[in-house]
Amino acid sequence: MTQKIIAKEELYKQLNSLAKDFEIIGPKDLFNKGFFYERLDSAQELYLGEGFTTEPVKKFFLSPSEWLFNCQYNNGKNSLEELSLPDKKRIIIGVRPCEARGLILLDQVFGSQGYKDEFYLNNRRRTIIIGLACAKPDAACFCTSLAGSPVESRGMDVIIFAKGDEEFILEIVTDKGKEIFGALGQVLNETEKESHALEKEKNKELVIPKIKVPESLCSIFEDAYWQEVSRACLDCGICTFLCPTCHCFDLVDEQRKKLRCYDGCAFADFTVEASGVNPRPTKKERYRQRVFHKFEYFKKNFGENLCVGCGRCIRHCPVKIDIREVVTNIPVTENK
Amino acid sequence: MTEELRNKAKELLKNKQVELIIGYQRSPDGICAKPCFIDKETDTDLLIWDTYCVYNLSNYLKEYAGRKVGVIAKACDSKSIVVLLQENQLKRQDLFIIGVECRGVVDEKGAGFAQKCKSCLSSNIPIYDYLIKEREQTRKPLEDDDEYEPIRKIEAKVLLERFKFWQQEFKSCIRCYACRQICPLCYCPKCVADQTQPSWFSKAANLTGNFSWNVTRAMHLAGRCIDCGECERACPAGIPLREINKKIEKDIKELFKYQAGANQEQKPFFACFEKSDPEDWIK
Repeated sequence: MTQKIIAKEELYKQLNSLAKDFEIIGPKDLFNKGFFYERLDSAQELYLGEGFTTEPVKKFFLSPSEWLFNCQYNNGKNSLEELSLPDKKRIIIGVRPCEARGLILLDQVFGSQGYKDEFYLNNRRRTIIIGLACAKPDAACFCTSLAGSPVESRGMDVIIFAKGDEEFILEIVTDKGKEIFGALGQVLNETEKESHALEKEKNKELVIPKIKVPESLCSIFEDAYWQEVSRACLDCGICTFLCPTCHCFDLVDEQRKKLRCYDGCAFADFTVEASGVNPRPTKKERYRQRVFHKFEYFKKNFGENLCVGCGRCIRHCPVKIDIREVVTNIPVTENK
Repeated sequence: MTEELRNKAKELLKNKQVELIIGYQRSPDGICAKPCFIDKETDTDLLIWDTYCVYNLSNYLKEYAGRKVGVIAKACDSKSIVVLLQENQLKRQDLFIIGVECRGVVDEKGAGFAQKCKSCLSSNIPIYDYLIKEREQTRKPLEDDDEYEPIRKIEAKVLLERFKFWQQEFKSCIRCYACRQICPLCYCPKCVADQTQPSWFSKAANLTGNFSWNVTRAMHLAGRCIDCGECERACPAGIPLREINKKIEKDIKELFKYQAGANQEQKPFFACFEKSDPEDWIK
C-alpha cells in the first residue's frame, strides 16, 4: 500500500481536473441542516471536517427511488421497455469507513448468491470511492464493537487522513485508486510512516461506546422485552432510511413507470397483505424485526451482523431510541 | 419540580387513578431526556423534568385510548390534547393531565431555547388536572417576540421566489414520514400518502411527490396545528416545517380570529361558522 502526503490544494486541483470525466460527489456543509452528500460543481464546496453526514452514501448505490423499467400497452399488446443504465463515471469522496463497510454488506445482498442486481452493481462499477478516516468519532459511534474501525480502508479505493487543516495523508488501496491518484503527493519516509501508524492506532481508541450482540436471539422472539423497548418508537422511517445497511424496498407503479422506492420495517403498512391482514400489527413486531434482521437473520444468511456501528439511527432518532442499549440488554437465556 | 412530579405520579399509580404514566426519563447519554412509560409505583423515581424534555407526549395517548393514563404536558403539549379531545380522539375521563409550567425547551439542532418557545406564554396551560408550578422562573416569555417574523419574510417574496424557496426545501425530503409519525394530530387510520388505489401522489422521493406530500400535510393541519414544532425537530433533512404551518396559523388567526387548542370549550376550526366570516372570495 502506497502512503503519501498531499496538500489539500493539490487534492482539490486534481478533483477539479477530474470533473471533466467524472461526476464528483462529496459531503457539503448545509449549515443549519447538517452535512449532506451532493454532486459538487467544484472541490471547493467539499466539507471534509469531522462531522458526519445525515444520509449515508448508500443512496448513490441503492437509490431512494430507482426507475427500473417502463410498461407499455399498445394495440392490445403488453411490452416492457428496458432503460439504459447510467454509465457516467463517479468519484465519491469523504466516505467514512463504516459507510464503506455498509456497501460491502450490501454487495452480499445485491451481488452474490445467485442474484445480481444490475442497477446496484452498475452503480458500484462506475464509482471510485475515496474514504475519509474519522478523526473525531462522536458519542453515537460504535464501529469498533462491530468488527470495524474508524481508520480502516475496506471497501475504498483510496483513504485519506486529515493532517492539520491543509494536508492529507493518502493511502492508495486499489488499482482504480492508483490510476487516479498515483501521481500525486510525496511518498512518506520511514519516520512519517511510523508516526502515521501510531496516529491510526490512537484514533482506533477514540470509539468508546460498546454494544454486546448475543450469539443468538431466537430464544427471546416472544419475550415481552420487545414491547417494552418499542414503546417510544414512532414507526417513522428515519432509522431505516438513514442506515447504511438497511435495504428494504417497495415496488411502485406510477403510470407506465416501475419504481423501486425505499421502504422500511418500521412502517405499519410495510407488511400489510392484500387481504388486509398485517402479520406485524404493532410496534413490537416491527421493532423486533429490525433488530432480528440486523443481528440474527442476516448473520444466518451471510455470517455477519447487518450493522456497521455508524450511529445514525441513534443520532437522528426523534425519541432517542438507542440500538446499542436495546441489543446489549436483550435478556437472552442460554439454551444448551 | 421533579420531586413533586414523582410524588404525584406515585400517588396516581398507588390510588389506581391511572394505570400508566407517560413522562420523561434521562436518556443513556446522561444529558438528554427520552419518553418513558411507567406502570409501577417503584419506577416513578425515573421521572424527570427539565429543559431537555422536548417531546410532545400527547402523541402516545391515542395508542392507550380506553385506558386510564396520566400524561405530563407542557403548555404546547396540552394544546394538542385539547384538539384531540375536540376531535373525539380521546375521552377526558380517561386522562389525568399533569401540567408542568415550562421555561422553554432546548433547541436540539441549535443553541439556546427552541424557536417555538420564544413567543410562548408557557404558564398558559389550557387544560390540566394537576399543575406543577415553576418555582425558579429564570426566563420570562418574550411576549413582544414577533413569532411571525420569519413568515413575513417569506410572504414578502414574490410568488415565483416563494415557490422556488419551498421547492429548494422540499427537494431534500427523504419521505421518512417522521413529521407525520411524531405529530399528535396526524392520526388518519390510512394516511393519504399510503393509499395506493388510487395513489394520490408519487411515492418516490422526487420534487413533485415531496411537494405534494408536504403541502397536503400542511393543509390537513390547517386550524389544527398547535405549533409544538415536533415535525421540524424530527425532520432529518432540516426542512423548516414549522414555517409552513405557522403561515396557515397566521392566516386563520387574521381571517377568523381562531387559535387551535387555546380553549377546550371551543369547537374545532372547521366546525365553526360565524356570519362575520370573510366571504369576499365568493364572486
